[in-house]
Amino acid sequence: MPKTSLQDFEAMVRRTGVILTTAQTEHIYEGWGYIEPMLERIRAHGRDRAAEPAHIFLPDVFDAEKL
Amino acid sequence: MQTPTIAEAATLLAARKISPVELAQQCLDKIEAVDSKLNSFIVVAKERALQDARAAEARLMAGTTKGKLDGIPIAHKDIYGTRGIATTAHSKLLQGWVPTEDAFTVTKLAEAGTVMLGKLATHEFAFGGPSFDLPWPPARNPWNPAHFTSGSSSGTGAAVAAGLILGGTGSDTGGSIRGPAALCGIAGIKPTYGLCSRSGILPLAFSLDHAGPMAWTVEDCALLLQAMAGHDPADPASANRDIPDFNAGIGRDVKGLRIGVVRHWHETDSPVSPAVQEGINSAVAIWRDQGAEIVDVVLPSLYEYQAANFVILTVEAFSLHEPWMRGRFNDYGELLRDRMIMGGLMAGTDYLQALRRRRELCAVTAAAAKDVDVLVTAGAAAEAPRIDSIPKWTNLEKPGFTNPFNITGWPAICVCSGFGEGGLPVSVQIAAKPFQEPLLFQVADAFEKAAGLRGIRPSLSATPPHVAKGLADAGLNLLPGQLDLMPEMVAELAAGAAALKGARPYSQDPAGVMHLPVGG
Repeated sequence: MPKTSLQDFEAMVRRTGVILTTAQTEHIYEGWGYIEPMLERIRAHGRDRAAEPAHIFLPDVFDAEKL
Repeated sequence: MQTPTIAEAATLLAARKISPVELAQQCLDKIEAVDSKLNSFIVVAKERALQDARAAEARLMAGTTKGKLDGIPIAHKDIYGTRGIATTAHSKLLQGWVPTEDAFTVTKLAEAGTVMLGKLATHEFAFGGPSFDLPWPPARNPWNPAHFTSGSSSGTGAAVAAGLILGGTGSDTGGSIRGPAALCGIAGIKPTYGLCSRSGILPLAFSLDHAGPMAWTVEDCALLLQAMAGHDPADPASANRDIPDFNAGIGRDVKGLRIGVVRHWHETDSPVSPAVQEGINSAVAIWRDQGAEIVDVVLPSLYEYQAANFVILTVEAFSLHEPWMRGRFNDYGELLRDRMIMGGLMAGTDYLQALRRRRELCAVTAAAAKDVDVLVTAGAAAEAPRIDSIPKWTNLEKPGFTNPFNITGWPAICVCSGFGEGGLPVSVQIAAKPFQEPLLFQVADAFEKAAGLRGIRPSLSATPPHVAKGLADAGLNLLPGQLDLMPEMVAELAAGAAALKGARPYSQDPAGVMHLPVGG
């Protein structure tokens, strides 16, 4: 059972712009229960403030001479 | 004739013991005979295949062959763009789409002289499956068609295992080459991120997508990768570096290498079946006997890699599919749409936190593996389950063993390591550091050759569809040797049943009738 309420979940779905039936929303809400622990894992618990993401912007990739 | 490996076929072709046209025709005949049970092909490009084969034959006769892949029948996962041949991603949304260009790797394999037999089933857009609500049915496992192939390179796994092709292409964003390789009992490598161009291949998640080959043996994967690898300016992630000889380590032992076993992944984080554990133990014993040093390596939990992989994958995938998800949601199969929408529900900060976690996981993995040459764990937790028993959220309930190497981008290969209780294959997974594919092939090949499992093929042709269906309906999982006996036994049973059917008086009672009072 997700920690997010069904009402809040429906608001999240509306934000995506995807139109779901009530039955579809309920099925996907069930799956959301598996996603919440994943999101908890990747959130910054004591992570160094300066820890960069795996992808950083490399300006020389767009150097006109290399394009 | 049993389908040869690519290396064997190259020898036969060079010695003119078989012609490219004969080899292609043999594969086409086999597809015609058995693929209705497997559904591994979406398109069989017969004319194109014979045209390619005739060209290879002309080169052979003229003494201008292009190498070991010249005249070798292959096929492509149906997310690889193929000029003039429909590319569907196994989806209603792309039904009828015919690309005007080949994918970079399709061109490279064609330039190496391969014979293209067609396009192979995939999970929809390389993500959702097995699905029964798409325009084409899901591929089935040749070791038992009632069972799952894993995915998403499901058609390639099934077609290679059944010997319908000698090799094929796959893609791997969370394990989609190695999963089907594991459950179909073949070899499949996800190369280092950036080694094979992805241009012209329908993307799933940009930062995790890898293209790579699948074949019956490790050596065959090395031969195919030799043709597929190379810099492509059209792919922003393509590595611009010299391509080594991937076959350099084939046939060599592993003396002096240090092999790290990530025991807690397959013993604690996601405990594997006894057959999978036995396969890993067997591989370790073989490498130790050859002179390798075996050590334990401790890495973050599989759940850590799974979380980062799933968040990054679904957010990137949803961003790609957003217009269709909004406008044509119900044209996707249920499995794909219900999984992919998760990426739209996540916040931007979730995605960025996953990328930050990814960088940490890359660093921790590299540090922990500093003193070893390769890492070893399971390819999948057990042999293939029944295809009709896969829960919708199956890839969320337990972490897979393949995600860590999509997160790190390290090359990893799955190799058949034995058979489970149900007679279906199990697998060991080996990973190396970035761009160490020659070493990875060396270690995998040393195990594969010593294990001696490559002589066992699925006995699909011995199991007629009505027998397979009867077994599937009865829920029976027979070993390959037992399956071989079934057609004869079924024929005898049918004859016996027919002999009992004769003209009898309408009112004749059977021997067992109910008497009341019983024993009275």
